[in-house]
Amino acid sequence: MAAPTGTGTGDRPDLLSAGLFIGLGALGLWMGRGLPFGTLAQMGPGFLPRVVCVLLIAVGLAVGLPALRRPAQAIEAVRLRPLLVITVAIVGFAYAATHLGFVLAALWLVIAGSLADPGGRWRHILPLAAGLTLFGALVFVYGLGVQVPLWPF
Amino acid sequence: MTFIDLLMLGFSEAITPANLAFCLLGALLGTLIGVLPGIGPTATIAVLLPITFFLPPLAGIIMLAGIYYGAQYGGSTTAVLVNLPGEASAVVTTLDGYQMARQGRAGAALAVAALGSFFAGTVATFAIAVAGPTLSGFALSFGPAEYVSLMVFGLLAATILASGPVLKAIGMILIGLLLGMVGTDGATGAERLTFGAIELFDGIDFIVIAIGIFGFSEIIANLERSGSEGVKLAPLSRLWPTREDFRNSWGAVLRGTGLGTLLGLLPGGGATLASFSAYSLEKKVSRHPERFGTGVVEGVAAPEAANNAAAQSSFIPLLTLGIPSNNMMAMMLSAFMIHGITPGPTVLTNQPEIFWGLVASMWIGNLLLVVINLPMIGLWVKLLTVPYRLLYPAILLFCCIGVYSMNNRIFDVILAAGFGLLGYAFRKAKCEPGPLLLGFVLGPLLESNLRRTLLITQGDPAIFVERPISLVMLLATVALLGLMILPAFRRTREEAFQEEEA
Repeated sequence: MAAPTGTGTGDRPDLLSAGLFIGLGALGLWMGRGLPFGTLAQMGPGFLPRVVCVLLIAVGLAVGLPALRRPAQAIEAVRLRPLLVITVAIVGFAYAATHLGFVLAALWLVIAGSLADPGGRWRHILPLAAGLTLFGALVFVYGLGVQVPLWPF
Repeated sequence: MTFIDLLMLGFSEAITPANLAFCLLGALLGTLIGVLPGIGPTATIAVLLPITFFLPPLAGIIMLAGIYYGAQYGGSTTAVLVNLPGEASAVVTTLDGYQMARQGRAGAALAVAALGSFFAGTVATFAIAVAGPTLSGFALSFGPAEYVSLMVFGLLAATILASGPVLKAIGMILIGLLLGMVGTDGATGAERLTFGAIELFDGIDFIVIAIGIFGFSEIIANLERSGSEGVKLAPLSRLWPTREDFRNSWGAVLRGTGLGTLLGLLPGGGATLASFSAYSLEKKVSRHPERFGTGVVEGVAAPEAANNAAAQSSFIPLLTLGIPSNNMMAMMLSAFMIHGITPGPTVLTNQPEIFWGLVASMWIGNLLLVVINLPMIGLWVKLLTVPYRLLYPAILLFCCIGVYSMNNRIFDVILAAGFGLLGYAFRKAKCEPGPLLLGFVLGPLLESNLRRTLLITQGDPAIFVERPISLVMLLATVALLGLMILPAFRRTREEAFQEEEA
């Protein structure tokens, strides 16, 4: 467990959970606002979503309110580099696989993804990318028959 | 057919060359990811789920099951030699296992762990074979009301027996239920919570959520932690335990097996809970509890037997009632569903070869694992020196291909990346993502059974307390909730999981 940091109150991880719970619950309620609720005997499509969302908000409040008064506790530091690099690499792969073919997509994913780790060396990354792309093409595209073009042309 | 006939049927299914090969592959993969810290069976199975689509149903399920129990074997290797849990369920094995290794008894610790696991696996496999037909016969008398109560009980019990704050776990289940409702409503055809996206009309794929929350966000979280370079290994010595080791450990193996088999049955139970409980039980019954933590062989034998027994007995509720008891079993459920098989009592009568083939393959898999783990231990140890930066690009690639191959859609991959971000936020909020999967899988089942029940009774909820089995289950749920409010019980529960957090 992390030691209390700084002054003031508020258990930040718990407050974040409360925020997520309440936020998702509210989002669900808002999106499901047009769905008919129905009756117990004839449940409408909106019945359970609404019940679950209300419960979720209640749980969020039950987690969040006591956390306000607890001694302050920080959230573990967020390091943006792996978060952003990995996400961008994945999204790039999705577009590349459809439009540019598997080979370029896999090379992009492995090379871009490797940049998430600051200790990476090109002489490790490039052979790894080539090897994994070859392996993926053989096993998934030829072996298992995943429907994806290999090349952009 | 008699019991023996059915077992023979199972073995004849399990020893076909293809099934045997997939059993071996699963056991090898399980050992591999068990040995490597930072890659868990949940993430691995999430990655491999889409691939099982290309295999025959039994082969795919045999392989995935092999990964789960194989990981329990592999996890002990890392725990003993490096003092790092290769798997969450091997955390307590590090306490005495590593001390044994430092005293030059690493080989003995590994051998006791592997042999204990094999014994436990055999007993638990037998338990499945015996309990399966009995329980599923019982389950055939379940109506929708019983299923609703059983699921409510299962979901709540899972939050209480799992580690971490109960309220947060309940919140995660609710989010899972909500995600399960996305898409076209089965009963009315209305589209729900889809943001108007056509891609979501069929609902969110289990694989997208599993890979996003367990695959992608685990990679990001692992990369945030430094120190994924090489590791320091304890020296490996002679493999065979001494006669004294055997004498000291057989009782512990028996107790660990019994406890593990029982705990695996409970919702939320599973390998991790079993190994912790077995360790504290061993400490309680031991005549020299003060020596635990200094390298006593019981401290390795009991938790290792327990985690393997529990890994296997947790298949019982899934195979007989169709209700997964933890997130691993939720994965298994979706592996069955991919092939259009709904696990539950009917599988035993309609497709006995699936159930018995799986049971037989588990025993064969355990036998293979002893061979894989003991003579080949040196190979696995070498793998530990591979740095994470060479591993994660491969995992990343398998995750992406897996998600993409389901529908060949950009949308699924981007959605999975989104769930990766959500999973990352959950990690920062210290929320265990396991219950979310459970809620997601059970959500649609819960809703359709609830609807059916109340349609039959014309909206009268009294049926839940009028049917005896349902009443018992609801009373048990209330009792569990009551326990949680008692401060004394809360303290004990927190203490029970304290060692895990340390």
